[in-house]
Amino acid sequence: MAIKIVTDSAADLPPELARELDITVVPCNVVLGDVNYKDGVDIGPDEFYRRLVSDTRLPTTSQPSVADFQSVYRELADQGHSIVSVHLSAKVSGTMNSASQARDSLANADIHVIDSGMASIAQGLIVANAAQIAGETDSAGDVAAKVRASLSNAHCYFLLDTLEYLQKGGRIGKAQAFLGGVLSVKPILGMRDGEVHPVERPRSRQRGIRRLRELASEMAPIRQLAVIYSTESQMADELRHGFGDMLPDGEIITARFGSALGTYVGPNAVGVALTQA
Amino acid sequence: MTAITGDDIREAFTAGTRYLEWYRDAVNSLNVFPVPDGDTGTNMLLTMRAALERCSRQRYATAGEAIGDLADGAFWGARGNGGVILSQFLRGFAQGSKGLDVYGETDLARALSNARIAAYGAVGQPVEGTMLTVIRSLSECADGLLAQNAGINPRELWSSAFAAGREALAKTPEMLPVLREAGVVDSGGMGILVLWGGALSYLTGMAEDTLKTSLDGFTAVGQTGAVEMDRAFLEAIEEVHWGYCTQFIITGEELAPDYIRQHLTETYQSAVIVGDDRNVRVHLHALDPGPPLSYGASIGQLSHIEIQNMTDQNVDFVSGHREAQAPAVQPPTALAVIAVVAGKGLAQLFRDTGCSVVVSGGQTMNPSVGELLDAVQSANAGQTIILPNNQNVVVSAEQACAGKPDLHVIPSNTVPQGVAALLAFNPEDSLESNLDSMRGALDGVSTIEVTRAVRDSTVGGVAVRMGQFIGLVDGDLKVAAESPEQALGQSLDTAGLSPDAVVTLYLGEDAAQKDAEAIATSIVNSMETAYPGIQIDVVNGGQPYYHYLASVE
Repeated sequence: MAIKIVTDSAADLPPELARELDITVVPCNVVLGDVNYKDGVDIGPDEFYRRLVSDTRLPTTSQPSVADFQSVYRELADQGHSIVSVHLSAKVSGTMNSASQARDSLANADIHVIDSGMASIAQGLIVANAAQIAGETDSAGDVAAKVRASLSNAHCYFLLDTLEYLQKGGRIGKAQAFLGGVLSVKPILGMRDGEVHPVERPRSRQRGIRRLRELASEMAPIRQLAVIYSTESQMADELRHGFGDMLPDGEIITARFGSALGTYVGPNAVGVALTQA
Repeated sequence: MTAITGDDIREAFTAGTRYLEWYRDAVNSLNVFPVPDGDTGTNMLLTMRAALERCSRQRYATAGEAIGDLADGAFWGARGNGGVILSQFLRGFAQGSKGLDVYGETDLARALSNARIAAYGAVGQPVEGTMLTVIRSLSECADGLLAQNAGINPRELWSSAFAAGREALAKTPEMLPVLREAGVVDSGGMGILVLWGGALSYLTGMAEDTLKTSLDGFTAVGQTGAVEMDRAFLEAIEEVHWGYCTQFIITGEELAPDYIRQHLTETYQSAVIVGDDRNVRVHLHALDPGPPLSYGASIGQLSHIEIQNMTDQNVDFVSGHREAQAPAVQPPTALAVIAVVAGKGLAQLFRDTGCSVVVSGGQTMNPSVGELLDAVQSANAGQTIILPNNQNVVVSAEQACAGKPDLHVIPSNTVPQGVAALLAFNPEDSLESNLDSMRGALDGVSTIEVTRAVRDSTVGGVAVRMGQFIGLVDGDLKVAAESPEQALGQSLDTAGLSPDAVVTLYLGEDAAQKDAEAIATSIVNSMETAYPGIQIDVVNGGQPYYHYLASVE
């Protein structure tokens, strides 16, 4: 009898970290060609990005089904566990819908569904934090309340090579303001109030990476920090090394955009997520 | 009194003409077919004025006489394609009203039917989606109501026909692809609707505001009175040679208008031929106006000869619309940026990068304070940030903003500085934070300007001969060279490029006229060799005066 943490694959949690923290990850769906894949289960990032740039048709994503959540929740509840389930922002995905419906269908289980208002590893940091709180508390309700109270401490900035994928995938939202133009810019986007927002338009990737670091540093003191990339791990390395004086290098998480997020950020994307102390 | 008398007809068309006067510019700027020369409104108005001049009796005993005079005047005074078709509409209307004392509903329907037939008959190959379609809708509506036995009086019939005309006009873009491309309704159709509606206002006492509201929907008019038109369309039509709009009247014996029409329609564009066996009015578009005039002279006496170069008209039309585009009012926003730049490419770049309104201007083309304030008004924002992009314009902009707390100048002295500041703009941030980051961005960029020296001089130790190409780095003359490319290369060397520099090269209108792509490629190649690792963007700026502008960040 314990408190179990559940999330979805849009959290981009490194699999070993999820295992270590005993977090159950419900995979999102991604359709490539005519085939539906379970993100991170049936298809890994290398294969996904290879297809993303080579397939003529762009992939599409969909939230896990109510049944997917039901079976995860039921199994945990049957073992006598309470559940805190933290998910991708409801403003960009229907994942919260599926999870909430699954919760409502299991009237006798103790399930708390939380909208992280974030995506990707920013959501992942909130989930990891939830797992830590769950180890220190007996009541799932308390865990949920603490997690909700901490949501505003989470921030993320993503440096994209192009807005093309975000636009074609229909998730451009307020980043629309940065669309268009003949100048090459590497847009930096952030998430606020559950939505994607335009942040800055540096002219080159190098400057962009520098600006990511500066934007994150302005949030100090920092408690959790993660860097993330889609296709080029050295971009994440370059970004991570610059944070040496803010957090011990060993505590910085390196993650990779899975297919759920990769569909929108595209290749050559890099980002930083953090929670404030 | 429901019947329409001769005096009513005179007064109704007088009111219609007054509305044409008000809507002349709007109708002009809708004009894309058959030739986008922006004169349909004017032509229809002048035709109606000629009609009213002839219809000058204080009292008309019969409706037939009044409309007869109108039609006669219109025939002799008709101008342009739209005017000639309008005159034929009136002529048919008059023929259908011969001997009539007053119009009852049946008479009106008959007159409209005749008017429709005459209008279609004026044109060799009638095209739908034009004023003909609107004319047809008036007549079909009248016929339809009579067939239903609707028990309607002639004034109500006039009113129903107006509603049908509106519907027909709204559909013209579906019928005529060129209208759809330009994103407008047909101009001649609009002219007919304005005239008919103006007449309606007299006949039924319809309020001016009501009528204007129902007409304004078709002309999303900018502040200059010109309708906003698709930019790609304007660019496409600029290239074509349109020839001469040629108009004259042939007077003779036993003229055969149908034969003349057939003959001229085969050879010429937009041929509209109307008249009878004594007088025939010819309107057509010819690359050479000589042959149709010779043809006319061979069968009768020529009068009312008018020849206009449509290429000139088209140029005026396009530039009128270009000007109209800038001040097209934007949807309201909290915060907007407007910029002053010269050159098609640069204007596009500023718009694409987030500028609400672009004012044309720059070196030697300082926009007036009034123009700037017009642009501010069009930006329709709570707070407006101005990017002057030229040292002299900074001064005008600061004058324009003096004492206005909702206007803010970011003193960008050059286009590259303006671009850097614009890229730092984020519509989601507060005004203060935007002003900070935009001002900050000005210092992050070095500007190189390449232009031709207009006189011999020695500046800052650099000797320059007139006609040489000079390179300025951040406003200081640094190099003089024999070609603009040399001046550019040497200026870049002077500016000093670090390995992570971002260089943006803006090709001027002179450079763009040559093989811009080849020039750009060779410059990029030589720079990449000299400075490995730098990022270079090339933009077709099309700016006058500067062969090249470049920014180094």
